[in-house]
Amino acid sequence: MTELLQVTDVVAGYGDGPAILNGASVTVQPGKVHCIIGPNGAGKSTLLKAICGMLRIRQGAVRFKGDSLVGLRPDQVLRRGICFVPQERALFPKMTVRENLRMGGFSLTDTTDLERRIDEIEDRFPILRDRRDQHAGTMSGGQQQTLAMARTMILKPDIVMLDEPSLGLAPKIVQEVFGIMQVMAEAGITILIVEQNALMGLKHADWGVVLDLGRTLFEGPAAEVLADPRIQELYLGGKKVA
Amino acid sequence: MAAIIQIVVLGLALGGVYALMGSGLSLIFGVMRIVNLAHPALIMSGAYVAYWGFRLWGLDPFVMLPVAMVILAATGVLLYKLVFEREAKSARYSEMTVLLTFAVAMVLEGALATAFTNTQRVTSPGYATDAFFIGSVFIPKGQLYAGITSLVIIGLLALFLKFSRFGYAIRATTQNREAAELLGVNVNLVGLVSFAIGVALAGAAGSLVSFVFSFFPSKHWEWIAVLMSLVVLGGMGSILGTVVAAYLLSVVAAFVGFFFGATWSTLTFYLALFVVLLVRPQGLFGEKPELA
Repeated sequence: MTELLQVTDVVAGYGDGPAILNGASVTVQPGKVHCIIGPNGAGKSTLLKAICGMLRIRQGAVRFKGDSLVGLRPDQVLRRGICFVPQERALFPKMTVRENLRMGGFSLTDTTDLERRIDEIEDRFPILRDRRDQHAGTMSGGQQQTLAMARTMILKPDIVMLDEPSLGLAPKIVQEVFGIMQVMAEAGITILIVEQNALMGLKHADWGVVLDLGRTLFEGPAAEVLADPRIQELYLGGKKVA
Repeated sequence: MAAIIQIVVLGLALGGVYALMGSGLSLIFGVMRIVNLAHPALIMSGAYVAYWGFRLWGLDPFVMLPVAMVILAATGVLLYKLVFEREAKSARYSEMTVLLTFAVAMVLEGALATAFTNTQRVTSPGYATDAFFIGSVFIPKGQLYAGITSLVIIGLLALFLKFSRFGYAIRATTQNREAAELLGVNVNLVGLVSFAIGVALAGAAGSLVSFVFSFFPSKHWEWIAVLMSLVVLGGMGSILGTVVAAYLLSVVAAFVGFFFGATWSTLTFYLALFVVLLVRPQGLFGEKPELA
């Protein structure tokens, strides 16, 4: 198996605070959708932040295409080919949709190339062309999430990490969000998604990773994880789930 | 009727200068979340640069304006590096920056008073005391020139923010610092440059103020309440809001001054500050403040 990204026994936390991650590991294979699940406070979002360079990794290894990402800043991780869409407010609400797309390609210096890439995104997601001059903050929640996710495709990254893209959206819109994720996957982008709704997330994923108390409990093909009795216990049985 | 027009004209003429005084404050708050209590003291420093250029070499305040901007921008870089950069990671950032800017204001006031005494100063180019007449309505030339210049500078700033690559980075950082950083913006550099631009705007405003108002070092305390009311009414961090608020309050103050006397016109700004904070704390163009 050739991994694109290998996270091994990572320990990390906020500032000088206690470690939130205490041995988290993930194996990311090219072209697949990976879903990280786990109860509240398991460290799911923290893991994505550690990978993208927002949090300092205290122990453990993160290797991407064979190179270590430990100690890199977010902009350096971005340039290597990993995009991170943080929870909820990933947009610039008072910039127009077009301006938000331009910000997506901020790290590109060739502006004609950038405009061409934005055109491609707008071909794929026509709603963004229709709303081009509208402030991003005035769009519906689903449209905003579409913009946040589509924006990552401008850089043609290897991996896109999504932190609970369905948060606060109506069920029908959640389906659309997962639809966009499929579009991205079909375009060859490897996906690493954190999802509160475990069943929903795993159903749309190839690979499942179960995190609890900052540790990886186990990982495997999504269908197997879904059927695993430990998941039934974590989410449906013994322990209460919100 | 002529009296009403006259009041509006005087209010509008001053509005532009207030807008420029407030826009630097607004920019710095927007990007850095620093409530820069030293902003009026920095404007005061700009006024002294213009004053001494005029006094020593007979240079017009408009010639001294770019000089004041450069000197103040350099001061801004220095202040940022020495005082604010180290606080960036502090958990008590908000309290610390308020206290630090207060301290900077005190130091600047003391330095200016020591160097130039507390005597009232004003630069007096010919146009400062001249006026245009349209019928019976008069427009003071100094205030008109200062108001137009202010609008031109604010317009250039707006174009820079709207169209340049760095302007995109500044706006993005203002609206969502974390997302900007994740997209590859160097938010520390954006903070430094925005702070320097904001302080340079104080320098420009100071040059214009030098012939519009008489000034002395401790007068900046009077200005801070005025500027706060503009920034709060406009919506913290919104430069457009600050400009609209400046014109609005300036005209209202002119009316108050006409009907109740000049001493009461300053009260307009204080009252506006109270009322806005009570009734609509997000101001005209700001976002609802988050509780937490």
